[in-house]
Amino acid sequence: MTALAAPAPTRAPKRRRSTEGRDAWLLVLPALLPVMLFSVYPLVYGVMLGFTDAEAGLNAETHFNGIDNYTALAGNELFWNSFKIGLIWAFAVTALQFLASLGLALLLNLDLRLRWLARTLALIPWAMPPVIIAIMWQLMLNPNYGPVNRTLETLGLPSAINWLGESAIALPVVIIVGVWAGMPQTTITLLAGLQSVPAELNEAAAIDGASTWRRFWHVTLPALRPIITAITTLDLIWNFNSFALVFVLTAGGPGGTTMLPSLFAYNEAFRYGNFGYAAAMGNVMVVLIGAFLFVYLRAQMRRR
Amino acid sequence: MEREIEMRTRTSASVAAVAGVLALPLALTACSAFGVGDDDEGGAVTLTFQSLAYQDTTIAATQDIVDAWNEANPDVQVELVQGSWDNVHDQLVTQFQGGTAPDVIHDESADIMGFAEQGYLADLEPYLSEDTKSAVSEDIWGTVTASDGAIVAAPTLLQSYVVFANTDAFADAGVEIPTGASLTWDDFQALASQLGGDGGFGVGWGLQQPTATVMNLSLGFDGTYFDGDQITVGENELAVPERIHAMAYEDASLDPVSLTQSGSDVLPGFFDGKYAMYVAGNYIAQQITESAPEGFNWAVLPPLAGTAGATQAANPQTMSVAAESEHVEESAAFIDFFMQAEHQAALAQGDWLIPSSTPARELVAEQTAGENGWDAILASGEGLSAAPFQSVVNYPQWKDQYATPALQQYFANEITLEELQTQLTDGWNELG
Amino acid sequence: MTRRNPLTRPLQYLALLAYMCFLAFPLIFLLTTAFKTDREIRSPEPSFLPESLNLDNFTAAIERADLFRAAGNSLLTAVTTTVIVTAVSLPAAYALVRFRTRLRMVATGWILLSQVFPFILIIIPLFLLLKNIGLVNTLLGLVLVYAVWALPFALWMLQGYVAAIPVELEEASAVDGAGRFKTLRRIVLPLLAPGLVATSLFTFINSWNEFFFALVLIQEPDMQTLPLALARFVGAEGQVQLGPLAAAALLACLPSLVFFMLIQKRLTAGLLSGAVKG
Repeated sequence: MTALAAPAPTRAPKRRRSTEGRDAWLLVLPALLPVMLFSVYPLVYGVMLGFTDAEAGLNAETHFNGIDNYTALAGNELFWNSFKIGLIWAFAVTALQFLASLGLALLLNLDLRLRWLARTLALIPWAMPPVIIAIMWQLMLNPNYGPVNRTLETLGLPSAINWLGESAIALPVVIIVGVWAGMPQTTITLLAGLQSVPAELNEAAAIDGASTWRRFWHVTLPALRPIITAITTLDLIWNFNSFALVFVLTAGGPGGTTMLPSLFAYNEAFRYGNFGYAAAMGNVMVVLIGAFLFVYLRAQMRRR
Repeated sequence: MEREIEMRTRTSASVAAVAGVLALPLALTACSAFGVGDDDEGGAVTLTFQSLAYQDTTIAATQDIVDAWNEANPDVQVELVQGSWDNVHDQLVTQFQGGTAPDVIHDESADIMGFAEQGYLADLEPYLSEDTKSAVSEDIWGTVTASDGAIVAAPTLLQSYVVFANTDAFADAGVEIPTGASLTWDDFQALASQLGGDGGFGVGWGLQQPTATVMNLSLGFDGTYFDGDQITVGENELAVPERIHAMAYEDASLDPVSLTQSGSDVLPGFFDGKYAMYVAGNYIAQQITESAPEGFNWAVLPPLAGTAGATQAANPQTMSVAAESEHVEESAAFIDFFMQAEHQAALAQGDWLIPSSTPARELVAEQTAGENGWDAILASGEGLSAAPFQSVVNYPQWKDQYATPALQQYFANEITLEELQTQLTDGWNELG
Repeated sequence: MTRRNPLTRPLQYLALLAYMCFLAFPLIFLLTTAFKTDREIRSPEPSFLPESLNLDNFTAAIERADLFRAAGNSLLTAVTTTVIVTAVSLPAAYALVRFRTRLRMVATGWILLSQVFPFILIIIPLFLLLKNIGLVNTLLGLVLVYAVWALPFALWMLQGYVAAIPVELEEASAVDGAGRFKTLRRIVLPLLAPGLVATSLFTFINSWNEFFFALVLIQEPDMQTLPLALARFVGAEGQVQLGPLAAAALLACLPSLVFFMLIQKRLTAGLLSGAVKG
């Protein structure tokens, strides 16, 4: 680990300048070709599709329809509602995930017994496909046999709760599952970050008589800031675009209360066959999330 | 530094190990493992038939029919592919769009009429035999006829919603099991009140996906919802939701939690004696016979009747042919074979569903001798008739985006009947 | 070393315990359910532990041939994707770090961008593209898609590891007269080993877990991957068989878990330090 963490200058060897470009291309080409074909091309195509009326139908013709899709979307209450749910979901999961993971990472960074066990456990959700995580939590939250309700029953608390079936509580419940599912990446990243905070900094602060809390706030946290920015940004994007977990867990129900925008757009395309309109939803999602990230990342850069 | 080197060598070893593990299956598998290039066919025509049968009994019955066909028709072989009701719609959208749809498509009337309007389904009118055509009533043919008059499917099995009764619970409460041609909603509600109490409920009803049930049962009150492309949500349409709501929240004879669950979630409560009655599609009878605890006694009550009688909407399962299929004629011939009375009767008994074909229905009555609730189930089939919602193109989207959420909220007691009415109507108009 | 509240340690342990419960409980529940009979699962007075180590659920899960085949499909897809991604991203990551061409900026931009785009934008054209080249409903099509979409992150991770290798080592080798590619093989490759392991692990798990692309691109039951098969297992109409479902879910986690255990130590230490530095 120490070897990896050592900062390394990445300057280029000063030789053979002329052949360098060619070598670079040669090495990058195997990656470049498939990327161009299978991601740049579909992406450009997808963005353009958002300006057409493409829809299902035998020999259905597709025409460019300018901003028609967007004017229709502007008045589509269900979409904006879903977008709002997507934002609540993404921000809540990211924030809770961050707090929970930071706490865990701090604990794992201490010299505690059973640390190895906690580390292993912290990684397990990552080894599980989201589909399985969803299935597992469905079993956990089953109103009749799930251990959650049964535990409540033993404690004499209300126990006939249909966690995933009641519109008032489904979204919070799904968010908790989302936090559980996404903790490993965040925890490990933060742990790696904590371990690279130079111990001398903390020691110096300790000698100055700073309390644990002050040391955390004034030494550890600032040192972690770049990593925090990176991982929360990534988490936010991943969560906003996540699909499988909620698709299996609730499929957007009950009453559309957990209809993330990715599910909404999926339905628009693959249930109702409105491909162009669905792509337009994708475009709106990219633009709004992109704008938010731009603002957030710029603010973070400034603080540095 | 020493630790580092050791780490490095150990890592190299594990890299080598991982690489070895990775390489092995690659070396062992030919290209065909990736599913590429196994398209070669002999001289015979091969039809793919995507079946949605899911109960073991029906899967076996379907396989038998296919085997019989393959034996009789060496030149036209049918290959059975298993699909699933859960994602059949999404899957068909993708398959039609990609030109990879199976030749013979199993689905249900309410789901396929949109595909018919999009031109994806072949007109079977020229191909189906007279026997098949005359076996099914005009009314039911209406549920698979597109707006241009094309017959886009053959209707196979029908389901109706029936009330299952735990006969021991009735006996314990000293309540007599109703008989007769039908059971009115009022009587049903009264029964439920008598049977509830003591931590139990008269009725458990898994209505997590409420729309189809409500639409189908509403026909018993003349609640048709649609007239052409116009929606009407009036007293008749709201009668069924209102009564269910009243049973759950006014006389507490129906467990409100069950309304938020799926039918299969509620079934164990029926077995445990928590619910004296259980409302579900008649196909659940198969699961009851399979998984009820020993000594569990049950019956099927007479069909529920509203002000317009014991009428329910017929939403038959369907067999269609993809318009882009290269073998429409052969596929239709297979469907014709599939529709024969003996085959339909076997399938019907596997799923405890009602054949839309009259000869097949008679055959079922004969073969089962009306045992195990079959008389009541077949009787409920008499009241099945076509409903306008099936032929409305945007019905699936309205159902998903407006009707289901609105009904769910109403059944969770979160909105009023007026709000339900508004949401159903406005939602439809939103889709325009 | 400074004043420490005597309660701190116990509280820390308490917090750790709470975390462990939250993380492990669902899994333990899955484990116990997988061994319970249907009657035990549905009994009104459940016991925490199964009465006996009853393997019926596992045999029931395995007997469902589609699950077994689906696992094979998933393994084949994930392994092939991993091999391709690792082979392709290694030289690319090296080139992007060591040569200061404009490529690097473009690549970094693309890596970030590719994370932002919702898959709904890509899936429709991708589906049409694969359809045109006859790769819809094939695992090869899936492998290509997975590989391409795993590449950005793999590149990002590997870049961090490459950057951590001191250039001086390479220069020394060059001074000794070794050519670039020899240097690559002799010096860079061994040093990159932990990074490669981490990257391939990440790629493998992501492909093994992937659901959305498979959902749209694979419709043939014969070709479905494990997540698809499992999602349908749950969705299967009628009564959900909780026991076999739990058993199947558990089995589906095994490959990733085994993979994890093989390189567990390195994982926590090395995995994201590369990414973080990148």
